[in-house]
Amino acid sequence: MLEGILPDKIYFPLSRKVGFGALNEIRLRADKPIVLSCMGQKYFLSEDGKTRSLSQAIYATNSMIEEIIFRASECSIYSVSEQIKKGFIATTEGVRIGIGGNVIEENGVVKTITGFSSINIRVPHEVKNCSLKAFSSIVKDGRILNTLVIAPPGAGKTTFLRDFVFQLSDRNLAFNVLVLDERGELNIGKSLGLYSDVISFASKKTGFENGIRSLTPNIIVTDELSEWEDMEAVRFASNSGVKILASTHSDNLESFLKKAAFKEIIEEKVFSRYIVLSMREGPGTMEGIWDENFNRIMRW
Amino acid sequence: MKWIIIAILFAACVAGGYLFSMKYKKRQSFYSALILFAQKLDVEINFSRERLKNLILSMDEKTKKNLYGIDKNFLTYLDGSSELTGEVLFKNFNLLKPEEKETVFLFFKSLGRSDVLGQSKEIQNFVKRFDESLSKCAQDNKKYGGLCFKLGIILGLFLVVVLI
Repeated sequence: MLEGILPDKIYFPLSRKVGFGALNEIRLRADKPIVLSCMGQKYFLSEDGKTRSLSQAIYATNSMIEEIIFRASECSIYSVSEQIKKGFIATTEGVRIGIGGNVIEENGVVKTITGFSSINIRVPHEVKNCSLKAFSSIVKDGRILNTLVIAPPGAGKTTFLRDFVFQLSDRNLAFNVLVLDERGELNIGKSLGLYSDVISFASKKTGFENGIRSLTPNIIVTDELSEWEDMEAVRFASNSGVKILASTHSDNLESFLKKAAFKEIIEEKVFSRYIVLSMREGPGTMEGIWDENFNRIMRW
Repeated sequence: MKWIIIAILFAACVAGGYLFSMKYKKRQSFYSALILFAQKLDVEINFSRERLKNLILSMDEKTKKNLYGIDKNFLTYLDGSSELTGEVLFKNFNLLKPEEKETVFLFFKSLGRSDVLGQSKEIQNFVKRFDESLSKCAQDNKKYGGLCFKLGIILGLFLVVVLI
């Protein structure tokens, strides 16, 4: 998956000594040690795999970071200019590379990012059946309930959404599923089953509006709702009779309820189910399911 | 037998002169192809933002032929994971002088490494430099290309006279 993107100096110890199964993130910061995030634990990358010893760690360089971005863009950084403006690059295999550097702004609009100084490579995982615990709470009598998955970064929101779409297809529940893949993370290979259409790299507003009009979905699945504009798109879909399965960043239910952008959506009871994931026992730990009145209906 | 040897020597001198003159012609056609290549990249990068590999692969056969394998060498680099070096880029290619190779190397090294606006400006700057080189190659071809061929013929004739 990362072969051809990472330089041999990083790829070989990762593939031979660490393995990609438990690897969630690789962080490269110029002139600093390469940090790996494995099942919630942080390590440095060394030639012998992962280590806690700074003296054995492999250090990232500016040229290393630039080369990774160059390779990840299929040797054509200009072709991913729009993604870079948003601060990331997504590869065709669903690897998302967050980018840090000098942001060039003009009239409040990001023109580009130059002088790349750090990157965060998020390694996608297919965890088969990870959504099954919650499946019967989301699908009731053959109907889908609007559901919001709440979790901190790296806790498995995207993996959950991807598996849920696959489970629908696997059970031959032939809903037309529209996957709005704003950051190119959801659509990996055949992980979305047989009945899904994908719109990639569009904003929520554009994706919801165009998708509903042109692809007439029964369900829209999307990642990371956060802004007022996203809420408008969700309301538009809900009023159009389309079911929604989405996710948002939050440490827990309490901090989610404090998010101003969600206030009206919560009051209008647009979502019937809230699923909270955490990192307590590693990524994907399911903390509970709440209904539209925030009564806990499932506990683990 | 003597006449056969004389004929062979004459032909060899003329062929030698022709080959020397071809070098100037090849340099000229190389720069013409390189400018076409760069201009196509500039247009496509602005218009379709197609990936570099696909753009190079979709280049017309005549341009590819006149790039004398540099395009293939560059594709080999893009497919691999090692750094771009002069050795890789100019493998089996000896038409240019060291300082010319340096400019061409910098051009290829810059490809795919910046956003649309930056890439386009960089290509346009290189096209200006290649234009200058092309003008010089055209002058050289006119001046030395014909001269080499004529010198080959004169040398051949001289040998013929001496041997007779």
